[in-house]
Amino acid sequence: MTAETFAATGAASSGITLERKTLKALCRRSDLPGLIYLGKWALALVISGYGVYLALGTTWIWLAALIYGTVLSVPVYAMSHETAHGTAFRSRWLNETVMWICALLYLEEPLHRRYTHTNHHTYTWHVGKDSQISDIPMTFPIWLDEVSGFGLIRSHFRILTQLAAARYTETMKSVIPADEFPRLRRNAWYFLGFYVAIGVAIGLGATWLWWFLVLPTLLGRTVMLLFTVIQHVEMAENSPSILNSTRSCKSSPIASFLYLNMENHVEHHLYPQVPFFALPALHRELKDQLPTPDPGFWRTNIEVLSVVMRRSLGRGTKARTIRQAPHMITDGGTAP
Amino acid sequence: MTKEVYVCKTADIDEEDVKRFDYEDQTYCVYHTPDGFFASDGYCTHEEQHLEDGIVIDNVIECPLHQGRFDVRSGKALSAPVCIDLNTYPVEIRDGGIYLCLDTEPTT
Repeated sequence: MTAETFAATGAASSGITLERKTLKALCRRSDLPGLIYLGKWALALVISGYGVYLALGTTWIWLAALIYGTVLSVPVYAMSHETAHGTAFRSRWLNETVMWICALLYLEEPLHRRYTHTNHHTYTWHVGKDSQISDIPMTFPIWLDEVSGFGLIRSHFRILTQLAAARYTETMKSVIPADEFPRLRRNAWYFLGFYVAIGVAIGLGATWLWWFLVLPTLLGRTVMLLFTVIQHVEMAENSPSILNSTRSCKSSPIASFLYLNMENHVEHHLYPQVPFFALPALHRELKDQLPTPDPGFWRTNIEVLSVVMRRSLGRGTKARTIRQAPHMITDGGTAP
Repeated sequence: MTKEVYVCKTADIDEEDVKRFDYEDQTYCVYHTPDGFFASDGYCTHEEQHLEDGIVIDNVIECPLHQGRFDVRSGKALSAPVCIDLNTYPVEIRDGGIYLCLDTEPTT
């Protein structure tokens, strides 16, 4: 094959450089950080789950389920993403095992995730090419549909039923090899069967599944989606530079833990081969080449909500502090 | 007829590392694994991402773009999203130097 340049969105397309030895050191894989993380996560689930147990039968159940659901759902997303990349663990069997468990809880067939996530990295935030791009510009109804979780649940079940019925979309056909479809179809049936079994079990009296799995997942997904919506919203579409299309944020230690350091989202898109535990070190290596991270979880989300509401009301859409693509900023009405 | 092309010294590639080698109008990767030295085409078969910035773990090269994995000894594609095997080439080690054997049929 000839020595030609391929312009996937990443460090090269963004003009970012990192000394090769430094990158190799950051990319080094290990099982230990992931195993330590699983231990901490399990402990956090036990503690927050005990809160649900204590709150059963009281109005505190909603708050308890939200907290427990956050501890459940944000790491489920983050770990399902990390294992889809194959970077969570050095041992492949461990990576795939955790991937499958998290995929079941995240409601997305993992091979579909692995294949379709590729065009999100190859064409980050490119309209018509990035299968994970949301509607641009974001308005309040779109924001509400996204962070409520209803949009994602609809999407996940639509994909599962399409795979199960062998009704493959053009996106699926463009990124998934044809001889893989029987495997994805079989997996989709397993997933749907699992969810039906949970529903049947709850109907037959296993209400603990409702209080400790279904309700917390429904509530926690909103928090998870507040983490993910700020990754690219208000940034530039169709740009070769990750710096223009992607946002990194500051983060509290608790948020970083739940999110597997994915607040370093620019860094992740620049070098997706760097595992989660090395992302803070990657940020330190690159920070002189990168924009200052936007404010933390709460501030960034409040500003995004303010912008999308003003957009829907026909008002000016300049944010106070978070980064925005220039064409996202208008004096009034919907941005072009 | 086999043509042996000098790549570099064995000491130039750390264990569990990869080196890009361009020769004429082709590009290759040479790997140093616990099982020795191996060579393949330089580009991932999934999308045209060069493997020189990939990660070598044991005898596996992982593409830096989407983390697709190949066994460098056989070129076999191991995990999604890669599904087409890499072409591999014999490597000779002589007097501390790595020689890429070209103009033979690729071993995959």
